[in-house]
This record gives sequence, C-alpha cells and structure tokens, in this order.
Amino acid sequence: MYEGIRSPAVHLPRTMGDLISVATRFPNAIFWGGGTYIMSRPGYYINGKAQDIIYTGRIAELKRINRTDRYLEIGSAVTFEQLLSVGRQALPPLLHKTIESSASKIVRSQMSVGGSLATKGIRFSLSAALSALQAEAEVKTCMGIRTTTRWVEVGRLYDRQGNYILKSNEFITRIRLAFDKENFSYFIRTGKPIIDPSDSVTLAFACFYNQSVITRFNMCIIFPSSLFLVPQEVDISMQGALLPLSTQQIERVVKSVTEQINSEISIDVLPIQVERAKRFIESALHELNSTSLT
Amino acid sequence: MKVECTIDGKQHILNVNSNKPLNRILFEDIEPALMIDNCGEGNCGNCVVLLNDQAALACLIPAFKLRGAKVMTFRGYQKSRFWHDIERAYEDTGSNPCPYCYASKSLIFESLLQTVAQPGQSESEVEQLSEQTIINEISLNRCPCLNHDEIIEIFNQGAMYRRRRRVRRY
Repeated sequence: MYEGIRSPAVHLPRTMGDLISVATRFPNAIFWGGGTYIMSRPGYYINGKAQDIIYTGRIAELKRINRTDRYLEIGSAVTFEQLLSVGRQALPPLLHKTIESSASKIVRSQMSVGGSLATKGIRFSLSAALSALQAEAEVKTCMGIRTTTRWVEVGRLYDRQGNYILKSNEFITRIRLAFDKENFSYFIRTGKPIIDPSDSVTLAFACFYNQSVITRFNMCIIFPSSLFLVPQEVDISMQGALLPLSTQQIERVVKSVTEQINSEISIDVLPIQVERAKRFIESALHELNSTSLT
Repeated sequence: MKVECTIDGKQHILNVNSNKPLNRILFEDIEPALMIDNCGEGNCGNCVVLLNDQAALACLIPAFKLRGAKVMTFRGYQKSRFWHDIERAYEDTGSNPCPYCYASKSLIFESLLQTVAQPGQSESEVEQLSEQTIINEISLNRCPCLNHDEIIEIFNQGAMYRRRRRVRRY
C-alpha cells in the first residue's frame, strides 16, 4: 500500500553526549519530543518526506525537573502532565493555567515542553506563558566536537512573526523559571491553534505589584501562525503605575498594543484576530483592577 | 524497522516503517477490526488505546515508541475484569455511547477510573476529579452522542463499582 514510503532512521540517544554526537553526525534530522504536532499534520505518514528522527524522550537529563534555591529548572523532554504533577506550590499560576488548558490529559501526557517551544512555523500557548514569566531557555550549540551553552530569554527564541529563530545546530535543553510568583496572572486562548491557527488568539499576562505600584508588567500575544508580540514599550511604560488603572490608561495600553499588532501582521490575518486580541487585553486589565482592589 | 510488542496480550514482531502511526499498524498490519479508522490526525479522538496501561491516541504514537510496549485495544480490554465496571455503569444509567465511539469513550472512562481508584491508595489519597475535568477528558472524542449529565452519571456509577472492587481486594 505504501511501497514508496521510506522508513526514516530513528536515533535514540540516552545521554547528552550521545545526543550531541548524533546531532552533529545527522544535521538534517528532526528532533522529536512528544510528536503530537508532527503526527497531527494532514498526510503526515503518506507524504513520503520522512526525515531522520532524533528522539529525545529517553535522555534522563532532559526528563528531569530540578528545584534550586532560586529557580525551577525543567528539562525539555518533560511532558506537560509531568510538569503539572510538580504541583501548584512550585509552578507559577500562569503556567499552571496554561498547561491545564492545553488539550486533554491523554494528549498532555505526550506533549513535551521542548517540542511545544521549538515547533517550526507555529507558536503555542506555552511560549506565551513562559515569555510573560520571563523564563529562560538553555540553548546548546553543536560545533563539531565542541559545544557551547547559553541562556536565552524565551521571548527571544522567536521573531515577531513567531518564527523559531534558532539554527539547526542549536537546541533547547532546559527551561529556567524564577520562583517569584506573580500577583496577578491572566491567560486566555480562543480557537484551536493546531486545527485552525487562522482564528486563534492567545494572551498571557503576568503582573507583579507591591502596595498598588506595578513593578513588572509582562504581556505576550500570539496569533499561532503569524504573530509573537511582547510589547516591551508598554511593559516599561506601565512600571511604576498605580493600581487601579484609570480608563485612560487602559485605553492607552490597548491602543498602543493594537498599533503594534497592526504594524507587525501580514495582510492575510483575519480582522477577528486583532479584535479578539484587543478585547482580551481590555478584559485582562479590568480584571487586574478588580483583583488589585480586593 | 522490526518492533517487538504485545498487543492484546499477544506477542508480535512487526516489520513496519519506523514512523508509522499505531492506528495504521493496528488497522493494516494486525487486524482491521481492532481500530475504527478515522481522521488519522488526532482530531476525532476515536482511536484511543491503552499503551502500557495509560490511555493514548493511537494516531499520535509512532512505531519506534512501541518497542517492548504493551498495547491494549478495546477488544483486549473487554476481556479484563475492569471492563465490567464500565459495562455495568452503562446498564445502570441506561446511557450508552453510540457504536461509532463506544470503544474509545469506554477506554477514556477507564483512564479516568484509574485515577480515582488505584490499587493500594487509601481513601484520603484518592484523587477527586472535577466535573469539568471529566467532561474535558471525554470531549477528546468529538462524537456528541452523550450529554454532560450522562457522562457524569456514567463516571460516578463506574467509580462506585471500581471503589467496591478495590475494597474487596485490599
């Protein structure tokens, strides 16, 4: 039935050393985390473009969740269910909400953190939440026998259109999250990013305040296939603002973010996505006001 | 690629492409009746199987993950004693999933029942699932043949039988 289909070679490294050596020898192979996105593409099996596979799910180091004094460190092969099992005490509420709202438990037990962050051509909610929480990713670069490691903010892994900008010899091994918990978090996603990315919008928002003064204001808006926006000017301008925010302040934030969205998106983005993003921001800021007053 | 695995209690050595999805393996290489084929893209939720006793969508499991794995389809599950809890819950409530999604919804119910009554758990350790969680999990299968109340009723009834079974055993 499928005579012409090539069976791709599968590499199953068990240590980081193996992974680096395999990644160096097979630069065109794809990294396989949970495989939920790859396998849910139409014609995944029968299109005949089978690339070699490097499966990261057997590397013990990448499946570990570590807790240090300052950070929670999450391996890139950790599944969403494993991450949820860490519990509400250790996970920031925004991240907890994001993971809980992603698919069902059965699918979550297959989805991996690394896969969700490094999928090419589409952005998922996890990258929005981690970006709003200012998480960092450990990126390893293979250069022959030598490897280098650096920490990069999750928000800097993508360009403004949401394209994953790491090179093919670079891969994410760990995610690092600071333990300071946000005072207010807001996560909302509409539509189904995998099935129909053209009308889906995700907003992740984390706000830190101390005695009604905003100390950190981090927002990330995603249109799965066309936008990854971290409005840094807004974030900076809101630091030091007093809560509750006035109607004018809310309008100014909404206007500024909408202008940025309009300047970044291409023509094929549906107006409904922009409108949804606008309403989500408004509703997030109103909820921030009501939370700050209680 | 040669893959050795157990399907419904039988040992199989399969010679398949390494990236072939499990639903296609069951349908084409084992027996067509084991899998009601469907969208093949993780959208319909009709291909649920138990992989190493955990529910999983067969269309999202590639052959290379099957090495040494234990796969149980609905046919194999029907031979286990746990099936009777769900079967009796269907009978008691008078609500049945339609024939199209019967197998997959039953296996999702099984995965939920595993979390509420695991062997060796004490009463206080038993996880309480919210109604929303139960609905979300069952909604993985997009067939609308059961309404929310029926789903909750079946689950509660099944959980009662499963807890009784646990009490009798331990």
